[in-house]
Amino acid sequence: MKKSAIFGLVVIAVAIAVIISVYSSSSTYATFAEAQQTSSELHVIGHFSKGKEMVYDATKDANYFSFYMKDNKGEERKVVFTGTKPEDFERSEQLVLTGQMVGSEFHASKILMKCPSKYTQDKLEVTEVKAKQASI
Amino acid sequence: MNTVFKGEHLLPGQIGQFFIVLSFGAALLSFISYYFATTDDAGKADSSWQRLGRLGFYVNSVAIVGMGTCLFYVLYNHYFEYHYAWAYTSRSLPVYYLVSGFWNGQEGGFLLWAFWQGVLGNILIVKAKSWERPVMTVVALSQVLLATMVLGIDIFGKRIGSSPFLLLRNSGIEAPIFSQPNYLDFIKDGQGMNPSLQNYWMVIHPPTLFLGFASIIVPFAYAVAGLWQKRYKEWVQPAISYALFGSMILGTGVIMGSFWAYESLNFGGFWAWDPVENGSIFPWLTIVAALHVLIVYKNSGHSYFTATFLVLISFVLVWYTSFLSRSGILGESSVHAFTDLGMFWQLVIGILIFLALSIFVLVWRWKELPITKKDEETYSREFWMFVGAVFLGLSCFHLIVVTSVPVWNAMFGTKIAPPADAVKHYNVIQASFAFVITLLTGFTQFLKYKKTDITRFFITTGVYFVFAILVTVLVVYLTGVYRLNFVFNLMMCGSVYSVIANGKVLADAFRGKFKLAGAAVAHIGFGLLLVGSIIAAGTSKIVSENASGVVNVQGFDAKAGNARENIMIYKNTPVKMGDYTVTYLGDSISSPYHFYRVNYKKVDATGKVVEEFVLKPKVQASRDAGMASSPDTKHYLFNDLYTHVTAIPSEGFAMQGEAGHDEGNDDKNYDEPVAHEVAIGDTIRYRDGFMIVKSLNKQATVQNIPLTANDVAIGANIEVHGRDGKVYNAEPVFMIRGGNVFDFARKVDDAGLKLRFSRINPENKKVEITVYQQPQNKRPWIVMRAISFPYINFFWSGTIIMVIGFLLSIQRRNKELKTV
Repeated sequence: MKKSAIFGLVVIAVAIAVIISVYSSSSTYATFAEAQQTSSELHVIGHFSKGKEMVYDATKDANYFSFYMKDNKGEERKVVFTGTKPEDFERSEQLVLTGQMVGSEFHASKILMKCPSKYTQDKLEVTEVKAKQASI
Repeated sequence: MNTVFKGEHLLPGQIGQFFIVLSFGAALLSFISYYFATTDDAGKADSSWQRLGRLGFYVNSVAIVGMGTCLFYVLYNHYFEYHYAWAYTSRSLPVYYLVSGFWNGQEGGFLLWAFWQGVLGNILIVKAKSWERPVMTVVALSQVLLATMVLGIDIFGKRIGSSPFLLLRNSGIEAPIFSQPNYLDFIKDGQGMNPSLQNYWMVIHPPTLFLGFASIIVPFAYAVAGLWQKRYKEWVQPAISYALFGSMILGTGVIMGSFWAYESLNFGGFWAWDPVENGSIFPWLTIVAALHVLIVYKNSGHSYFTATFLVLISFVLVWYTSFLSRSGILGESSVHAFTDLGMFWQLVIGILIFLALSIFVLVWRWKELPITKKDEETYSREFWMFVGAVFLGLSCFHLIVVTSVPVWNAMFGTKIAPPADAVKHYNVIQASFAFVITLLTGFTQFLKYKKTDITRFFITTGVYFVFAILVTVLVVYLTGVYRLNFVFNLMMCGSVYSVIANGKVLADAFRGKFKLAGAAVAHIGFGLLLVGSIIAAGTSKIVSENASGVVNVQGFDAKAGNARENIMIYKNTPVKMGDYTVTYLGDSISSPYHFYRVNYKKVDATGKVVEEFVLKPKVQASRDAGMASSPDTKHYLFNDLYTHVTAIPSEGFAMQGEAGHDEGNDDKNYDEPVAHEVAIGDTIRYRDGFMIVKSLNKQATVQNIPLTANDVAIGANIEVHGRDGKVYNAEPVFMIRGGNVFDFARKVDDAGLKLRFSRINPENKKVEITVYQQPQNKRPWIVMRAISFPYINFFWSGTIIMVIGFLLSIQRRNKELKTV
């Protein structure tokens, strides 16, 4: 067999490995009910429940923010985020949380908010906050 | 109904719109003329088609400049009847940010791209000689497509492109005021620019990046022209020079963006693997790969197809990147993508046209391509350069597969979410590729083209490799990288090896083989850049992790518990944080910024202050009470200390600093007052410390109240000792005037106190001091996060070194170009 053919096979193998690794580490969009079933991290889409209690008191704990979110199926859960309350949180129209269920609470490591843009009325703006600084 | 609107300045918009249509028409004319100049006038020295093509291109360039001038005129004069001016700028915006307002919107971005492409086209007209006709056909085609993006004209009921001269009342925003002729009287100011974009880096980063994107057209055009004109071998040489230029500028533009993010955004780092960031490096990876195989082909005749393919795909990826960031498809996976301006399909067509063109020329000329049948030597430079280029391509392939998850979802109707910990996923896989690639940039230096002496190669490679391992072990132990995933240690080893091996080449270059200096310097820069990125990102330390004053919340699992990165500090209450003692000193406003002064002090064992500095992270309040926080960073040679404010009291800005001038309400900010009857010299205790009544001042004065002979004003000199050992003096005043009793309270804001001299008891010669104390949480505070980034300067300096390397290489290739 020619060397280029061998190398070609290696390249194909690496490409397949890449696709498999992406597929296996890709996550899913789920509801709270589905999140309850697994212990792995996943994304839950919903919107925050306006009338419900929202806790952030920096003088007590600068790293504790809790609120209630309704997922797309209408199920409501308490969400806990280890970090500060994101700016303009109340104005958000949609939230995408990344995290997992712990008991009946959802512990989010990342919150992605879609807010009506302050700068252009007809557009939506997306902001993301993470509990942890990105690390490798 | 035809309303005549008052106060509108329609002329600049009409001229601008005219220039847009002109630029489109001229580009189309140029494209068609150059096409016929290439086909019909082939071989003719004097071609009227070519003259027409040039004319079209010149007119196109002038029209683009005209368009830009009109747009800037609109922005500069604050004509808010234009959507672009209204949406992205405001009256208070300084002129230099009006420049960045120019490319704040998508239309401006396209304009910038078209502008640079026009500049490059004009250079090609002068320099390309025999290549001008076919190359300019391709460039003009790209100009035509870019012009359609800003056309903003309805054709067959479908809007083509989005014009920057769109009027606000036509922009689709519904408001009753637009039915009034004088609606402009109600629009006093624009929406203003997003605070995070008001940064000097935003003035130069987009033009650099777009010049990078635009310059990829040149090698692409040469490749298409080469295949079209059957000049299969000749196009490679000029393409190398332009590919070098493109890689250099695009790389610089990307890193500038990263520097902007690091200096003024608050995600706490210099790279976040955001889809838009990834998109900007797709074409960089492929053009750098292309560059290497082009050189391989030039020197050995191998890898022709790979080289051509990579050049062609790079430009297709430029369009794909534009599509990703501008079509709105990234939706919820990116924080800084644009929303759809209704150009989704137009962008898709853009990609497809260039993809189809690339496939077409390859298939059309497939049988004639100079592809070698024989295998490369295993121990030859060309073989391993080829391998390296393929791995760069694979690394790009991985980025595309993950970044395009929303695209796959749209195409196949699936609902896959990006990896939950995307950053880790990218880091691990890309580090593996980086390991292979850096290793190759190292040992390939010891190989020669065609054939190499094997024994000697193994000895030199081995010696340098062992040396690199030793250095790596030292570096990973000193910096703490060894604690990370093993793959990052491998990447470190590869990068160190690359720096050392190329260092040897550079040393040789100084001894005469100066030709090789460019590549060696660029490789060293790249290696240092990677070394810096591993250490800075991998061992960055959260400094603000001290838990004092933090109430532990029950039910928190250990994993989430590690993430407490924010720290709340009260004004003037020092907190120990890592090596530093940190004090929040206060805030000040310099519109539109709100600065928070944070004092850092390093104290050695004997209590001596070794180092002291003040950082001023700022928060920018925008009109709608939103907040954008920007960090302030203390730069050391080997370390950066990065600080930004993550939360402020919800009472917002008013509460900070000047607490309550309103006397009536003021007492609400304090706990129940406590009255103390004391004699001179007595001590009063309060929660955070104590105070001593030093003396009484019978000549006390009160500002703005002149005293007459009958009035009595007595001040009580009180020395307050705060918690941190600080001493403050206050003099509350007791006054009898015209038979009435007044008293003037004094505040010690830093200690959270208000003191009243409320009564004099002449019988026992005692006085009454009433102490108002602020409850803890009423005292001004901030929540901040501090991160230390070790050795980040390797990352920046690596970039600069890489650019120098590219410059040297361009110089060398241009010399070769002249001699051929």
